[in-house]
Amino acid sequence: CGDEFLTRPAMGSLSEDVVADRNGVETLLMGAYGALSQTGSQGWGDGLPGDGAWAVCPSNWLYGSVLGTEAHKGSDAGDQPQMNTLGGMNVSPSTGFINLKWRGLYEGIARANSVLSVLPDVPISEGVFSEADKARIEAEARFLRGHFYFELKRFYNNVPWIDETVDALTPQPNDQDIWPNIEADFQFAYNNLPAVQGQAGRPNSWAAASYLAKTYMYQQKFSEAKALYDQIIPNGNTSNGLAYDLVPLDQVHNPVNKNNAESVFAIQASADDGTGTIQNANPGMMLNYPYNSPFRCCGFYQPTLYLVNSFQTVDGKPLINDFLSTPVKNDLGVLSSENFEPHSGTLDPRLDWTVGRRGVPFHDWGPHPGQRWVRDQAYSGPYASKKHIWWQKDDQDVNNPSQWAPGTSYNIPIIRFADVLLMAAEAEIETGSLSQALQYINRVRERAADESAWVKNEFNRGYAFEIVNSEAEMLALEPTSGSWVVREDTGTTFVYLGGGAADINNWNEYSEPNYNIALYDDLGNQQQAREIVRFERKLELALEGHRYFDLVRWGVAEEEINEYMDYEGDFFPASYINEGQFTPNKNEYFPIPQRQIDLSTVGGTPALQQNTGY
Amino acid sequence: QDIQTVHEVSGTVTDASDGETLLGVNIMVVGTTTGTTTDMEGNYTLSVPSTDSQLRFSYIGYQPVVVNVEGRSTIDVEMEISAILGEDIVVTGYSAQRRIDLTGSISVADVPQMQKIAESSVSRQLQGQVSGVTVSQSGQPGDEPSVRIRGIGNFGNVSPLYVVDGVPTSTIGDLNPRDVESLQVLKDASAASIYGARASNGVIIITTKQGRPGLRVSFDSYVGYETPKHHGNAFNIASPMEMAELEWLAYNNSGLTPSSSLYGDGTTPQLPDYIAPAGAMEGEVNHDDYYVNPYYTNTGDLGNFYRITRANKQGTNWFQEIFKPAYTVNSNLAISGGTDDASYMLSLNYINQEGTLLRTYNERYTLRVNTQFNLKENIRIGQNASIAVWENPQSGSLDEGTATGMVYRQQPIIPVYDIAGNFAGNFGAPLGNASNPVAQRERTRNNTGENNRIFGNVFAEIDFLESVTFRSNFGGSYATSNWSWFQFPEYENAENAVVNLYGDGAWNGTNWTWTNTVTYTDLLAEVHNINIVLGTEANEDTGRERGGTRTDYFSFNPNYVNLSNGAGDPTNYSWQYENALFSVFGRAEYNYDNRYLLNATVRRDGSSRFLDNRYGLFPSGSIGWRISEEAFMRDVNWLTNLQLRAGYGVMGNQLNVASDNAYSLFGGNQLSTFYPITGGPTIFQGFAQTRIGNPAARWEESHTMNIGVNTMLFDGALEIDMDFYKNDVRDLLFNPELPGQAGLASQPYVNVGNVENKGLDMSITGRRDISQDFNINATVNFTTYSNEVVKIAEGVDNFDGTSRRFGSGNPIVRNQVGWPISTFFGYKIEGFWNEQSEIDQANASAGGVYQEEAALGRFRYADVNGDGRITADDRTRLGDPHPDFTYGLDLTVNYKSFDVSAFFYGSEGNDIWNQVKWWTDFYPSFQGAKSKTALYNSWTPDNHDAKAPIQENAGSTATNLVPNSYYVEDGSYLRLRTIQVGYSFTPDMLSYVGLNRLRVYVQAQNLFTITNYSGPDPEVGNTQSANASTTSFGVDEGAYPTSRQFLFGFNLGF
Repeated sequence: CGDEFLTRPAMGSLSEDVVADRNGVETLLMGAYGALSQTGSQGWGDGLPGDGAWAVCPSNWLYGSVLGTEAHKGSDAGDQPQMNTLGGMNVSPSTGFINLKWRGLYEGIARANSVLSVLPDVPISEGVFSEADKARIEAEARFLRGHFYFELKRFYNNVPWIDETVDALTPQPNDQDIWPNIEADFQFAYNNLPAVQGQAGRPNSWAAASYLAKTYMYQQKFSEAKALYDQIIPNGNTSNGLAYDLVPLDQVHNPVNKNNAESVFAIQASADDGTGTIQNANPGMMLNYPYNSPFRCCGFYQPTLYLVNSFQTVDGKPLINDFLSTPVKNDLGVLSSENFEPHSGTLDPRLDWTVGRRGVPFHDWGPHPGQRWVRDQAYSGPYASKKHIWWQKDDQDVNNPSQWAPGTSYNIPIIRFADVLLMAAEAEIETGSLSQALQYINRVRERAADESAWVKNEFNRGYAFEIVNSEAEMLALEPTSGSWVVREDTGTTFVYLGGGAADINNWNEYSEPNYNIALYDDLGNQQQAREIVRFERKLELALEGHRYFDLVRWGVAEEEINEYMDYEGDFFPASYINEGQFTPNKNEYFPIPQRQIDLSTVGGTPALQQNTGY
Repeated sequence: QDIQTVHEVSGTVTDASDGETLLGVNIMVVGTTTGTTTDMEGNYTLSVPSTDSQLRFSYIGYQPVVVNVEGRSTIDVEMEISAILGEDIVVTGYSAQRRIDLTGSISVADVPQMQKIAESSVSRQLQGQVSGVTVSQSGQPGDEPSVRIRGIGNFGNVSPLYVVDGVPTSTIGDLNPRDVESLQVLKDASAASIYGARASNGVIIITTKQGRPGLRVSFDSYVGYETPKHHGNAFNIASPMEMAELEWLAYNNSGLTPSSSLYGDGTTPQLPDYIAPAGAMEGEVNHDDYYVNPYYTNTGDLGNFYRITRANKQGTNWFQEIFKPAYTVNSNLAISGGTDDASYMLSLNYINQEGTLLRTYNERYTLRVNTQFNLKENIRIGQNASIAVWENPQSGSLDEGTATGMVYRQQPIIPVYDIAGNFAGNFGAPLGNASNPVAQRERTRNNTGENNRIFGNVFAEIDFLESVTFRSNFGGSYATSNWSWFQFPEYENAENAVVNLYGDGAWNGTNWTWTNTVTYTDLLAEVHNINIVLGTEANEDTGRERGGTRTDYFSFNPNYVNLSNGAGDPTNYSWQYENALFSVFGRAEYNYDNRYLLNATVRRDGSSRFLDNRYGLFPSGSIGWRISEEAFMRDVNWLTNLQLRAGYGVMGNQLNVASDNAYSLFGGNQLSTFYPITGGPTIFQGFAQTRIGNPAARWEESHTMNIGVNTMLFDGALEIDMDFYKNDVRDLLFNPELPGQAGLASQPYVNVGNVENKGLDMSITGRRDISQDFNINATVNFTTYSNEVVKIAEGVDNFDGTSRRFGSGNPIVRNQVGWPISTFFGYKIEGFWNEQSEIDQANASAGGVYQEEAALGRFRYADVNGDGRITADDRTRLGDPHPDFTYGLDLTVNYKSFDVSAFFYGSEGNDIWNQVKWWTDFYPSFQGAKSKTALYNSWTPDNHDAKAPIQENAGSTATNLVPNSYYVEDGSYLRLRTIQVGYSFTPDMLSYVGLNRLRVYVQAQNLFTITNYSGPDPEVGNTQSANASTTSFGVDEGAYPTSRQFLFGFNLGF
């Protein structure tokens, strides 16, 4: 009775030698994909490092869009105060969120490295596990690692490079520029990935090329990027074999039409994964739905006036230098039980696929009711973000209601083809031809100009309280306040405000929104062309987590973010925005988390150095 | 034999404490071999050689009595339990010793005194009864209190090892308190290290009652009535109108124009008649529009609901809504008896304790059978077994999300029910996102939970070679639990759970221990007492759990709902564990002439939790000197006993390490490593590294030095026992966080930490017989320790505990080298910024910003490091939850047939982090109910002498966004835990009804508490069920307070 009695196996886990075969390495690779969504194992909305999933959401809605002028944090002042700190550009090395982000991304890297360290041990056996299989697995793992490092690089700038040959348990310094390593990973992936993959969620060679080009764009290596775009745009196709193209505006973000021709690389989600949780259904977005609405929770991520004003058009063109001089009319301070007439001026049709605003069909959920769906209008504005919102008719398929806030099978787009076109346009403006750039930009605008895919009042028909032919018919109804009625005779939608349905004054009438969009005839000079493409990125890619990183990349973050804070702060005196300030040579990057500096300290000397300004 | 000289004596021997007859008492004529024993009725008859003879009455567990016959023919003797002179036998590790021979630090509980306290569990009775033990409990029935012996010695599991009838176990929650015969606490290494690897948190040894010759039947019962202590406003919550005024105040203070869909937009707020529809007034709402289906099954239905809820303008007192008076019944039947060759003890206990918090209770049946058989003169076998069956639904506490948290979060304007009698909540109105705590509790009504545990042992003992005994003891437990819960869909909240879900789970575990010992006991040359024990022990602990959930039930009827019937996706899980220990051990005791005592133990343990360093050796030694037995002390009559003790030894701990710590492991999790790679709903299996292994981990070691003194004066009228100790816990197992670059696989436990506890345990007992039928007993147990973290890990001098709503990076608790475990941490408040000039001046001398977000009426923090600015480095220790000392005072007065006892318990110098104030005293903290303090006692330009800072719309680091000293309160208290008055009927009164004994009593518990703590109960922070860990306790975020209880009971003997 001794060692044998005392030798007890580990329960419910596998040892490394068990996973070091061809099935094991494929499964480890799948685990690395699993890190893309940065979600944890507790099942109610925790992120991979164990805290709120919103801190690490791979859509970067907080870091890219809220910090990038496009959205308020939302909700009310007391809710998620760390977001106020971040949004006001007051992030400090001890802000918890940035430590979570760091840990989540490095877990993705650790998983990719697990694949790469086990892979050499898997024997090649023709017909079972070929050199091609091995190359593909290595390429996928390096693509994923490239993705996580790309995030780290643009987030923190100075980060240690850990690959499968580096001892991750020993603190490593962050004194090297890792762009060359990231390029090498994407280059390897580009060279070794197939053009078509059996499963849509895996990147193909074109996705790798696009990510490599994006990596070049972040380093102002425009000619290298242009060379790739010249290949990608005419020849590229998605992993599931569709030639790259722009899809109709109403389909770009629709989860029932995901992995479409525009999807270069996206994080896959499942609302019906059988786990009874939303952990594979975008828990990082769970806060970002209208409050007191059929979506239940939680009223975060509310677009800014600054963003909405950008969508004004004159002769179909945006007011690039002048969009703040005339505001888009909004319902700030108007109760949902009070009458409101929406903005009558012309707008870019992409606005209403981006922002929920009062009176405009919120897909088929009825006209957005305004204040009633907003937690604290005076704090965070009247708007709702919309790109991740699904249709009520698809509710059964794409919504997961199992938790206190919803999950959805919406795919988070990391790179979509419109993004590729606009980056290519940038590269052309910097290093190639303005007319080629014009063509790329107009291709994006042309898609937006397709009227058949604009937001229309007829969306209201599906779940209307009633569809009627006359006012009399409508006034005879017995609706509850908030019910909407589609009128065939007027072509408008009426919302009952409460106080007596027989009185027409208790009804709010909404007409079709007024859209106008036109193509550019030319881009002017190079500087004007830059402004056009940068503004076009805002209109096309708003609320997709890019803006802050774009502004930093262009070197205009101080100018634009401070302009936004000045403007928006006046409307929201109680918001963090009012006292926010972008500090140059500091706020371009986030601080290295103090916790990580502490953990990297050996014998009093930290291996990690803090970024400038912190 | 000369018949003339034979004198016959007869009489009855009874127990002095309860008057019950004693059976089998040994009676010897002194100086002869003549003797007898008492019969079934306690009677004896004995012929003595002379009327001058002396008789000696002896009985195990009682003080011997010597009586001069003095010509009498009837001699009745009362025998006293031998608690006084130290002749009583104390069960220690694997053997028993006379109390006076102990050299280690062992507290022996006064079990009869403990059992007077009508409580459902032994650990609750233990509070304040022995020195060196800190017990902290909540008001929740069945919630096992935390029991800490001599401080906190590690960063994980600090619960003591229990040994019941020789069988080690981790819990005694299901032990019937009335079955306890003796309880002793082994506190230092020389006493406990015989339990080696499991001794470092201290060992509590319990034996259960055995039968004695003769039949005894007793029936004890009580009924009790418990009332929540707070009839008033437990958290000083503002009324609905005051809530509205506070909103106006905060907006005005922030330079904003107040406006609310509930309270209008005037210069003063108006209360609405309805909160749903929000802000509606009387006449504006058509009640016919009401539509709520509380048992909706289609989540889409929720969008069609039309809720109508009146405002409760008086305000709902949520504390009173969920805390209600509750009843308790407890009955115990015990039957015992035996012959010379066999004895039995059988007991049946039923307890049903309702909790004061809605739908919490503890209902338990316990059956015990203990038997023992003398097969031959030298062979004994026996068994002890208890079967417990209980249901104990509990509510979480000390956490914002529980019902006790919702009490201070849910706004008072919300009524309990809406106009149709369905639950009311905050849907649609700007009233935050708390839940209705009544709904929360009522929705647990279909939940079930059954627990069963069989615990016991069988043993055989063989005596051979005169002085050697072999004992084999096999014991353990087999336990199962099964539970189910139903999640009703919600409709009344701002944030509703909308799916209906049923969950079902079960666990079973087996834990066995097989112990074999050989004991040699001898007395050589009249002065050399020798006792040697050698033994082996094997232990195995295995178990599995499995469970599942399903959603989408057609009907919520609990008779219908099961895992098969749901229409939604099923989920399931299971896991299993196994651990093993194997040990050899030995003990040698030597006692020279009752004056010089030596004791040495050693144990070698092997544990399956370790790989490369599997075995650990735990030695100890101690010495004792009974000074009072020395010749030169013989004349000091007032000194009955004086004994010095000293010991040193090593104890181990193996609990703070995952069973698979040694191995690097991989695995998958559907939620975090699986991925829907095809774009369809199916998720595909993915793996990640789940654990980084450390094969080199080994035991935690606790090196303990103990010096004690036992004093007994005036024949036991005054007894003082004292122990000083220093406990150095080394090689603590801790899993220090790795750099993020290492990924998120579980970091390995490594032996790095070091914690030190120093302290003093003291107990003082005084007894005084004022007259024949009037006596007083008083015992004070005093416990004090100081705890210090000496080392955490290489390069790591702190790690953080909970941060609650302050978020990661803003810990409330920090465990720091040089500080006690679980020290409160944050900015120290110096006062308020009362004038702008103060801020300007501070900024000027700082040459920039002195304190971020400093503004009028906000907190001014102390510049602790003196660098002229307030930075994160100014955060400092703000207090800690360790008491300076705790004490228990037992007072007993017996007067004729009456007995009165009172038990006080106190804790002095423990701090509490009152996190409730974060919610209630700061308007910009997360929306919810606020306190009157926030409205009436907050800083304004006219009120600089305020308690709370200026109330504003948005939070700031100078008010509520970072931990600071605002939350730290002194948690000292003195509580009259129990007072009891009993009356025992005299035997002649009872003889009519054939009873031996009848005592009736009334008892009050928690009658009063003296404390300055502002929360409902200062006894918070380290109960087991609460959201508190060893390294993060003492944080009150809504406790389940103890209640006042009155009960009536009786003890009946046949």
